[in-house]
Amino acid sequence: MAQQKVRRSGLTMPIVTPRFVDQAWRRGCDFVTLDLEDSVPQNRKDYARTLVKESIPKVTRAGTEAFVRINHEHLQADTAAAVWPGLSRIKYPKTETADEVRALDALITRYERERGIPSGTIEIDPGIETAVGVTNVYDIAAASPRIKEFGATNGGYDMSRDLGVEMFVPYDQFVYLRGEANLAARALGLGVRAAPFIANTTGSVSDGNRALRLAEAARACGLRVGGGGLNPAVVESHNIGYTPSGADVRDAHWVLEQFERLQATDAPWLEVEGRVIDRYEAERARGTLQWAESCAARNREKAEAVAKVRAQLEQQQAQQ
Amino acid sequence: MNNNLQRSWLIVPASSADAVAKAAKSGADVVVLDLVELVRDAQKPAAREQCRAAMDAVRACGAQVFAQIDPQHHEADLRASVWPGLDGIVVSRAESPARIMAIDKVLTALETERGMPAGAIGMVLALETARGNQDAYEVASASRRVRALTLGRADLVMDLRPEPSGEIHQMPYLMERLVIIARALNVTPLGAWWRAPDRGLLATAENTLQAAKRGRAVGFKGALCLRADQVEPLNKIYA
Repeated sequence: MAQQKVRRSGLTMPIVTPRFVDQAWRRGCDFVTLDLEDSVPQNRKDYARTLVKESIPKVTRAGTEAFVRINHEHLQADTAAAVWPGLSRIKYPKTETADEVRALDALITRYERERGIPSGTIEIDPGIETAVGVTNVYDIAAASPRIKEFGATNGGYDMSRDLGVEMFVPYDQFVYLRGEANLAARALGLGVRAAPFIANTTGSVSDGNRALRLAEAARACGLRVGGGGLNPAVVESHNIGYTPSGADVRDAHWVLEQFERLQATDAPWLEVEGRVIDRYEAERARGTLQWAESCAARNREKAEAVAKVRAQLEQQQAQQ
Repeated sequence: MNNNLQRSWLIVPASSADAVAKAAKSGADVVVLDLVELVRDAQKPAAREQCRAAMDAVRACGAQVFAQIDPQHHEADLRASVWPGLDGIVVSRAESPARIMAIDKVLTALETERGMPAGAIGMVLALETARGNQDAYEVASASRRVRALTLGRADLVMDLRPEPSGEIHQMPYLMERLVIIARALNVTPLGAWWRAPDRGLLATAENTLQAAKRGRAVGFKGALCLRADQVEPLNKIYA
């Protein structure tokens, strides 16, 4: 697997609401998804498309990646409107077949060429939100090299509606759906988007504490792809929750020290303080340290970009 | 001892005569002589040389003997382990139908060469990788020698870790999937439903008992383990 990009936190926002898009750079997200789909009313879809090109730099100037979520039923028009320099990814909701992914790939390839974007820059993120999508999940994930991360988390509104199951229940009704998508991602060596099951019976999407608990549980499972936020209150929780803590880093160093000791023996594993030390633990520890470094580098990159934007704004104000 | 029972499968490094001798007396239905996970690379040649003697030591105590082989080095591992008296092999990290067919072919040649009944050596496939699980049906259909499927150390190989609920992430799905595929192919699903804090096939005797109870409920018919004190609970629950 190629080095995984740091995408811990992301907000989805209606592209037609200027106060969200203009302020996106202040949110501290690793990525922002500019939405053309569910949050844009039908009578504003044409107008929404005209905003993408100018909105992308508003997001990326803070070091935040810009994604666009298109409408499944407006593939052509939305893709034509979305593929501009600076875009990182198109989210394709309700993907049901590999052919749909290939059609999107061909469109992106065409616009990348026409608009001077290096070929293959823009990723595809197929959303599995229907029963048909689940039955074709492996073929969808394998349909394009533009797919770098894949998975299904906890159903979501569309999936719940399509399957006819309730969303906010105290038990895990998406074991199979999540398992299928997760296994396909792993078999193809893609970044795994998944989440451990934690019951949410409230339906809240703006609870920062709950978001932190979820992100920390995901991190404890070795999962690194976050985002999916609707409310700015969850961004910092996701950034922190998906980043290895100081204790994680110290523990990883300790494991590697113990592993050095093991290497000097013939034993396949060591038991130290009730823990098993072997090559699997060592591999995991090395992965934690590498991820901690990637997160730190991403934080620096974003902080520098935000400082630059602030300096520009101050200069503009001084001139006025 | 009823020689057909396969409730408990104790894995030991083929390179350690001590471990083999202990395993032989552990009461395990099957002792698996490992040439892969528990043997350091530098010791592999020595482990292969000791394989035949280890097999005899186990058989003398009445247990069945399997050898766990590395599909990356299947020729050398099979030449070292396939002798009269061997009951079968465990293929670790099984994930390629072509490789399973290649292993089948080598087994057939060795059976002829070493005067063993044709088709005597059975195969257990350890589906430990994502690819192996994704393609499980095709992989398990690749040879008529396949008798059983297990997830082996999938939690470690795939780095699956505990969720807040105590379940190992992704394992409930993988277990149910394995049981369905095994039953569809009329082979035996092996495993136990390990939960946090247990790791790999390592657990206390009590936790092994609980894992075996849950495993039996989900359809497993016996399980692999790494410690002699896990044998008794497995024999009790998978009886």
